[in-house]
Amino acid sequence: MSALTISGVTKTFGGVTALRDLDLTVHEGEVFGFLGPNGAGKSTAINVVLDYLTPDTGSVEVFGVDAQADPVAVRERVGVLPEGYSVLGELTGREHVAFAVESKGGSEDPADVLDLVGLAPVADRRAADYSKGMRQRLAFGMAIVGDPDLLVLDEPTTGLDPNGARFIRDTVSSLRDDGTAVFFSSHILDQVEAVADRVGILRGGELVAVDSIDGLRTAAGGGSRLEVTLDADPSPARLDAVRGLDGVSEVTAAGATVTVACENRAKAAVVDELRADGATVLDFETSETSLDELFARYT
Amino acid sequence: MSWTVVARKDFRDALRSRAFWGVSALFLLLVVSLSVAYAQVDELSGGDPSALGLVFFIATAIGVFVSIAAILTCYKSVAGERESGSMKLLLALPHTRRDVVLGKVAGRTGVLAVPIVAALLVGAGLGTALLGEVAPLATVLFGLVGLLFALTYAALVVGISATTGSTGRAAALAIGFFLVFELLWDTVVIALVFVANGFVFPSGPGALPEWTYPLVQLPPSNAFVTSLSAVIPDAPGAAAGPGPGAGQVETFFGTPWLGLVVLLFWVVVPLALGYRRFARADL
Repeated sequence: MSALTISGVTKTFGGVTALRDLDLTVHEGEVFGFLGPNGAGKSTAINVVLDYLTPDTGSVEVFGVDAQADPVAVRERVGVLPEGYSVLGELTGREHVAFAVESKGGSEDPADVLDLVGLAPVADRRAADYSKGMRQRLAFGMAIVGDPDLLVLDEPTTGLDPNGARFIRDTVSSLRDDGTAVFFSSHILDQVEAVADRVGILRGGELVAVDSIDGLRTAAGGGSRLEVTLDADPSPARLDAVRGLDGVSEVTAAGATVTVACENRAKAAVVDELRADGATVLDFETSETSLDELFARYT
Repeated sequence: MSWTVVARKDFRDALRSRAFWGVSALFLLLVVSLSVAYAQVDELSGGDPSALGLVFFIATAIGVFVSIAAILTCYKSVAGERESGSMKLLLALPHTRRDVVLGKVAGRTGVLAVPIVAALLVGAGLGTALLGEVAPLATVLFGLVGLLFALTYAALVVGISATTGSTGRAAALAIGFFLVFELLWDTVVIALVFVANGFVFPSGPGALPEWTYPLVQLPPSNAFVTSLSAVIPDAPGAAAGPGPGAGQVETFFGTPWLGLVVLLFWVVVPLALGYRRFARADL
């Protein structure tokens, strides 16, 4: 059984199609990163999963339960950190966590949860007086109460400083090691890259790519970037020869420095080709295609 | 039961509202002043002050207080949470939208109950002190009907709040309801009589048609006072339901029990309608 299955979901708001026939599956125990530019529909998709919105067509199942038909059963097994939320009235941080524990029938001590998310010193202050980062930590604490089987996080690192963001990342990793599935959306590609097993890229309401990051790299036609500095400017013919090699997707040159995007297996052939005229390699750098470039390529 | 968790949270939350405590303090002051006035001023008690008379004398004050306090504490109950986004945090937990609405009605009724019970005790205490007599049964029954009335208004305003995601509109609807059904209702009834009578005002005794009697019972605060006469034995004649020639109407519509039916109507109908809109809304 999958943790989350979105099938054929379409959602339109006043003439704008936010989601178009979306199909997506998150497996049990995997971390799935949901990427996309602003306005792609990521939050809309998450809001449909949480039954904040009703889809025009299609369905969402969480551990086999229809999310529109039985949202409460879904939320009993799912920890949620939505976006665009605000805290509850006049309650303190501690009261928020206690309310979450009580609602989910959990057994955690609110003090422990607050300690875990770093809010112990301000536990008895009104949550409405918290800073943005504190509120996000509180909401995250409420989401992990009750040992959920799936975490749905919408832009979880919003408002958090790098330490806070790292805390989220580390907690997500250890939860995944415990068997919890995680479905989260983010703009911050480093965070996604560090923790996601698979990544989905949403653009204009449609899923344009779903794969592991390595898989996306390969499919995008480049696993590596080579930066080779020669002792002399290479001739156009030489560059063309490199372009023609199997597994090479892009070749540019700035003076004596040649930048090549290619698959990993082609790296050696590229270097050989560049030295074919007797040129000497002065410097050599390789790096994997970053998620940033992949993102730009797909969107 | 999930709605009890929401109710408790809502109760705790609403209890912290300063606006509410301000209104409650004023109300307590009002009850004290009215009790003293009733006991001392012959014109108010008709020369024969009694504990029962006191109870009914402050009934109208309770009616006004509850309606205003309910509007104040309840108009943002659902609409405000939708507008601010805290509804998302609330529904991130395993509660149905029905739990949320019912829990809020329960929680806010509880908050309204606090000043009502306090005022009742104070009033009863003062009544005993000033008049030298006690009416314990009447006081308790009065309290129960008062709580029913609080429930009615809480359900009514929460129902109104549930129809919209804008606190501005919720406030307008709640105030509009109060204006039409409480302040201006007599005018509305007269206008209806005017129209039904061929655009001519009826004149003479017994001129108002029978159907105006039940119609006048419609405002919740009128129904509250009518219910009191139904429930409390030996209700003073002066306190019998307002309206033209009530004694002449023989049917059920003439009985004070209509008041309880009307209260029940106001508890159920707006809440049901409001909940249905809320259940289908996109957040």
